[in-house]
Amino acid sequence: MTELSVVLTAISHPTRRAMIDRLAKGPAGFLELAKPFDTALNSVTKHLKMLERAGLIARKKHGREVIISLRAEPLKNVAGWVHHYERFWNEQLDEFEHHFKSTKGKEKKR
Amino acid sequence: MTDAMKTVEVKVERTIPAPLEQVFDAWLDPKTPGTTWHIADEYVLDAKVGGLFFWSIKGTSHYGRFTAVQRPTKLQHTWMSPNTSGLESNVSVTFTKRGNETLMTLVHSGLPDTNQGKGHEKGWNSFLGNFCERFSARASVSAG
Repeated sequence: MTELSVVLTAISHPTRRAMIDRLAKGPAGFLELAKPFDTALNSVTKHLKMLERAGLIARKKHGREVIISLRAEPLKNVAGWVHHYERFWNEQLDEFEHHFKSTKGKEKKR
Repeated sequence: MTDAMKTVEVKVERTIPAPLEQVFDAWLDPKTPGTTWHIADEYVLDAKVGGLFFWSIKGTSHYGRFTAVQRPTKLQHTWMSPNTSGLESNVSVTFTKRGNETLMTLVHSGLPDTNQGKGHEKGWNSFLGNFCERFSARASVSAG
């Protein structure tokens, strides 16, 4: 349970979720990972520490550079914690709502 | 299997920027993105009280029967799939007028509180990854 809380905390920040999204595409160096974010480097370090504590990333030394990669296993626990249908209906209704927002005004012409 | 009879309920709400009738009808229209009929590989839909539905996605079948069809405020049907572990779960959707918009409340109850559905989740697990990507892609599709 504590482990789950740590993972949930780790993914509760948009910057850290963006980092996970970036790492889902493949490993990256520290500077490359920090680049898209409008934050100080030591705040990036802090975010990475939280991801590391949750077991979501692994660091590997490559000469002088540190390569960071995603470890997705802890996310599966989160997925298992949220009920299948809770996610399912949220996704469906998001899309349903999005449909009305994106076609608002257009449909009337038809 | 001592927890086989334990059931849970899932509640999801959204405010849809359209009038009641339009939202109600769209929810039963396979052309509308976000409906289960829309994502189905195959479906059968007979939306009247006592009418049956079936839809399948990637070989997973879902069956149910409509227990309430009160246009434009309420829709209720049962729901059985591998995820309900043999239980006939219940889906109730209520549509409430909120000015020019519609508050949609979906309650899926009588769901087994087990971990059995876990393997099935893989199919839906695009959630954390390409969530946003998928949305923007779908948006351009429906606009075009």
